[in-house]
Amino acid sequence: MNGKELHPVGKEPEILSTIACNLDADILSAAFPLLEEGRVEAIEWSFDTLYWAAQVPYWFTDLLLAYSQQSRLIGHGVFFSLLSGKWTKEQQHWLEQLKQLSSQYSFDHITEHFGFFTGQNFHSGAPLYVPYTSTTLRIGQDRLSRIYDACQCPVGLENLAFSYSLDEVKQHGEFLEKLVAPVNGFLILDLHNLYCQLHNFSITYEDLITLYPLNRVREIHISGGSWEASVLEPEKKVRRDTHDDAVPEEVFHLLELTVPKCSNLKYVVLEQLGNGLKTESSRNRFRQDFLKMEALVQKSRSSLSRQDDNLFLPVQPLQTGPVVEDDMLHDQQLQLSHILETAPSYEEARRLLFTSSLAGSDWKIENWAPHMLETAVSIAQKWKR
Amino acid sequence: MKIPKALLGAILVGITVQTTC
Repeated sequence: MNGKELHPVGKEPEILSTIACNLDADILSAAFPLLEEGRVEAIEWSFDTLYWAAQVPYWFTDLLLAYSQQSRLIGHGVFFSLLSGKWTKEQQHWLEQLKQLSSQYSFDHITEHFGFFTGQNFHSGAPLYVPYTSTTLRIGQDRLSRIYDACQCPVGLENLAFSYSLDEVKQHGEFLEKLVAPVNGFLILDLHNLYCQLHNFSITYEDLITLYPLNRVREIHISGGSWEASVLEPEKKVRRDTHDDAVPEEVFHLLELTVPKCSNLKYVVLEQLGNGLKTESSRNRFRQDFLKMEALVQKSRSSLSRQDDNLFLPVQPLQTGPVVEDDMLHDQQLQLSHILETAPSYEEARRLLFTSSLAGSDWKIENWAPHMLETAVSIAQKWKR
Repeated sequence: MKIPKALLGAILVGITVQTTC
């Protein structure tokens, strides 16, 4: 498939109301009335959640093909672990699978997450922060080039929900822009992830949003999440991007504020996991959230100013040489993963970190907020296998 | 986007199959 054929120069995309739709009976049950009414304008599929499946039901394949044939299918990778220091056979397999899927479906674009996984072989769990250095930049750019090579369509990255310090939060947008530059890629701006940052680091929307390259936002995510009490700071609740609840009113407000700022926006996606859609009331709420999102999108269509016309395809042919790796980064990620997954307490995690090779390094563990290290331990141990 | 009725029917059966066969 040649992705360029799908994007004639000068064709102006409209904003499409989209749902994250996977092979999950609860998600499909919640979304079915919306599909039936023809309201779902595009589908985002987490394609690598089915890499292990021997066979996908024909009706799900047909659903994907229906959207693919209209160039309204977008792929959202979960398990690639973009910024792992060492190249793994799982990553090679992931790319081979993506290449095969890209010959079966016409993806309008493919996205992945910033960060690396702590879980088994770095391919399970939840993505966590890595330092913004020339080493991680080279690794990330190398991986994104390989993803483009496999899918031959626009490639993008999603902003991370989790950070250890306010400095990381403020520098995230700029680093994302550097990562996607060689592939002329784009950003998914996940507004619930942004909401987590606003709350967890007490920064204002106005101060944070200007630090993102909004002309590179092609996709916006909205979702729900949950609050977690901090043992260290009982008065402080940590906002987590668990995707298991309805969209908070604050996130809809962020959507209303943000859409007019994104001149290349094409997809607004409602995400919710099936484990939060098991009751009829939660499914009704999901549909109400979609209708609310749809109304905001339709309202914005007429007012959005499209000054750019970026198709987010590489401006020059990409050259992928030998795989970029870094042994020190890999070793630090192994140490960090082990500490987060096994430390019996925040205090012990902190003590172990300060005696590890992460101390006094680019990881800047000395600046990590205690309540966020506490949360990182909780996340890593939740997904430990 | 409009989904063909036959496909909607197949999806409905598929959901039932997953939930229950």
